[in-house]
Amino acid sequence: MPVEERQIRAPLLGFADAMEARAVADTASAPGPELHLLTFVLEREEFGVPVTQVREVIRVSDITRVPQAPAHVRGVANLRGRILAVVELRSRLGLPPADLTPRSRVVVVEVRGRVLGLLVDAVRQVTKVPEASVVPAPEEVISADVDYLRGVARWQSRLIILLDLEKALLPTE
Amino acid sequence: MSVGDENPFGELLQDYVLECLPLAEQVADTFVELERRWRAGDPADELLGSLPGRLHTVKGNSAMMGLTPAQETAHALEDACGLLRRSSERRTDPAAALLITGGGLLVDLVRQASPELDPGPAARYVERVRQWMQGEGPPAADTQSERRRTDRRGGGGADKTDSVVRVDFRRLDALLEVLGEGLIQHSALAEAYRRLARRSGACEELDRLDQTILALEKTLKRLESTLMETRLLPIASVFGRFPRMLRDTAEAEGKRVRLLQSGGETPLDKAVLDRLSEPLLHLVTNAIVHGMEPPDARSLAGKPEEGTIRLDAAPHAGRVVIRVADDGRGLDEKAIRKKAEALGQELRDDEVVPLRSLIFLPGLSTAEQVSRLAGRGVGLDVVAGAIHALGGTIDVETEPGKGTAFTLSLPVTLAIIRSLIVEIDHERFALPMAHVAETVRAEPDAIREINHRGVAQWRGDLIHVADGGAVLGTAAADRAPRRFYVVMAAGGKRQALLVDRLVGHQDIVVKGLDPALGRPDVVSGTTILGDGRVACILDSVRILEGGRRAG
Amino acid sequence: MPHSFLVIDDSKLHHQMYRLIFSRGALAGSTVHYATNGREGYGLLAAHPELTLVLLDLNMPEMNGLEVLERRRAEGLHPHIPIVLVTTEGSAEDEARGRSAGAWEYLRKPFQPADVEHLVMRALAKAEPIA
Ligand SMILES: [Mg+2]
Repeated sequence: MPVEERQIRAPLLGFADAMEARAVADTASAPGPELHLLTFVLEREEFGVPVTQVREVIRVSDITRVPQAPAHVRGVANLRGRILAVVELRSRLGLPPADLTPRSRVVVVEVRGRVLGLLVDAVRQVTKVPEASVVPAPEEVISADVDYLRGVARWQSRLIILLDLEKALLPTE
Repeated sequence: MSVGDENPFGELLQDYVLECLPLAEQVADTFVELERRWRAGDPADELLGSLPGRLHTVKGNSAMMGLTPAQETAHALEDACGLLRRSSERRTDPAAALLITGGGLLVDLVRQASPELDPGPAARYVERVRQWMQGEGPPAADTQSERRRTDRRGGGGADKTDSVVRVDFRRLDALLEVLGEGLIQHSALAEAYRRLARRSGACEELDRLDQTILALEKTLKRLESTLMETRLLPIASVFGRFPRMLRDTAEAEGKRVRLLQSGGETPLDKAVLDRLSEPLLHLVTNAIVHGMEPPDARSLAGKPEEGTIRLDAAPHAGRVVIRVADDGRGLDEKAIRKKAEALGQELRDDEVVPLRSLIFLPGLSTAEQVSRLAGRGVGLDVVAGAIHALGGTIDVETEPGKGTAFTLSLPVTLAIIRSLIVEIDHERFALPMAHVAETVRAEPDAIREINHRGVAQWRGDLIHVADGGAVLGTAAADRAPRRFYVVMAAGGKRQALLVDRLVGHQDIVVKGLDPALGRPDVVSGTTILGDGRVACILDSVRILEGGRRAG
Repeated sequence: MPHSFLVIDDSKLHHQMYRLIFSRGALAGSTVHYATNGREGYGLLAAHPELTLVLLDLNMPEMNGLEVLERRRAEGLHPHIPIVLVTTEGSAEDEARGRSAGAWEYLRKPFQPADVEHLVMRALAKAEPIA
């Protein structure tokens, strides 16, 4: 689906350029408090979640589908004897579905005492970004559902979309 | 006596009789023939020679089955025959009579094949043979009474087991199943009450019904906890096996190891204990073979030559925590990470991939050289799998040079249900056996369509045959026809479900549904299958009700 | 990684017992070959170089356990396969003879399933250290 992809990418790149100009101005100031993030890829965009909420990253083994489960639930997996519900993060964020690849991973997170798995396209790295580099997510340039985002970090020519795990995973039940 | 000392081969008692009774009868017949030949002046060497092999087999088999009186009788006869083969001057009439008595006793004991037999007659007979072999001559035989007293012990004499009853564990399982049905019926009753109350409003009779239903629930819960307690055994029944095995293994490996234990009195459900011994044994074996350094390496490292393995159990927060710790060399974390990477695990950042998630990977081994049996090991992944299947967790801590500790956390009891495992559209599902009436091969013409519903003839009735994929919402368009259907029955309702494959029967440990999964109509829970995959447990009752939640 | 085992025992009851043992837990799914005497067992041993472990009864008609071990040693047949000699209350002398004839281990009746599992684990642990 290259056409769709370009449609999504184009505004994002425009936004990135605009941010670049701002970032150059910002780097002069002293590095303030930092965010420690695990970043991963969805639909070619880089997302970040606080490392403090990440328990581990596992390979995608057998995920068992659960009949009649909500659409954004990929299924359940065996995490050392615990039943781990795995959320299809693409679907949760309103991104198009994609096939599993050898790079697909499940990021195991703990949100308010609940342990859940997030299916992502690939895990990129653990990194630190200055809190000052975070700006609110501009709706028009992000393909994901903005309600679940905390903002966007622009740092060293990268753009990291910060997920709000509580909002994304624990909708008012 | 406890319910824990049941013979592991108990189910083979029939096979035991089939194999040993003809042997015992041949032996008994041979004794009679010996007496005849000896009286005729024939030493009958070849007849005597045919006996030890048969007696040896009966002895070994009886020992395996835990049938000690038969084992000891066969042993005594074997010894007696050995002596008679060596010294022909002992082949006398009284000797033949002694053998014939023993042959009859052995036939009786083998035929009855009961672990409950009075050990007295066999013990007395063994003593008589011993005296005869020492040349004291056979004491006056009380043959008849010996044979008669091999009958089952009567309920009479009160001994030390006064207030303890021996119960076949399967009966406790059956009781648990009955209780489970009671609990289901209780919830049906409560549901009926709620509907009734909604329809007719409050009244005194309804109040009383409500009270009774609440009281019934309390009674059932009390029954459940009493029953669960009955099933508990101290973990010492598993720990007790370790000292000997540890000694053997340490010796074979040239290591010096001592075993310290604590918490042996901690109670666990027998079903958990039964499935725990193997993984624990594996952890202990590993600790000796791989964890412990040889004595010289230990003293070089400034440690005592004798290593220590600790086995500790303790109740903790409604579960039981077991720790297997050694003071050996510790795990080589670098090697494990390297090997895991070679196995395809991506390890970009140590912070997010803890050691515990690698050490239990299938096929992980840090062996430097590929060994001759490579690829066929029982690895830690199998241990972890067994623990997980019990609803337990396993974790590892290690420090180079200091040692390794595995921590297991296990449920005290198991909610286990016997299930039929089926495959529908490439996924496996568990169907509780309580509601499975029959499995049938789906012949092409057997299922007809009436009013757009599949129906089939079953035991003289027409029953609805639903497609498993349609019920579960998984049906693929281009699939092959399903090959079997499972007839489910509950509460007078019957329906069949078409499935692709019958995988087999299994006792599964029930696990809950994560709230993130919503409340599916057709699934009541999840379980971990033997291969580590998760399977959904189908809610047969809801499926029979048409798949829609009541209310 | 299925294991494969060879049971050489003249007792069919023992075949059933091993069948139970090898259908449980980690050993489930193992392949087990059965022979009812030493001669037949020796043929199966020759035909299966992939065996994980052999359980060899000492007392059998037609080639007993010791004779199997001695012939295997003389012919140098699959020396890497560990053979466990199984006896009823065998004497120390029996055990020494068994070991010198090339038995890897010695198992006395009555044994428990766990004893066999333990031997299998040790045979595997020897062959393939874990972590
Ligand atoms: Mg034999």
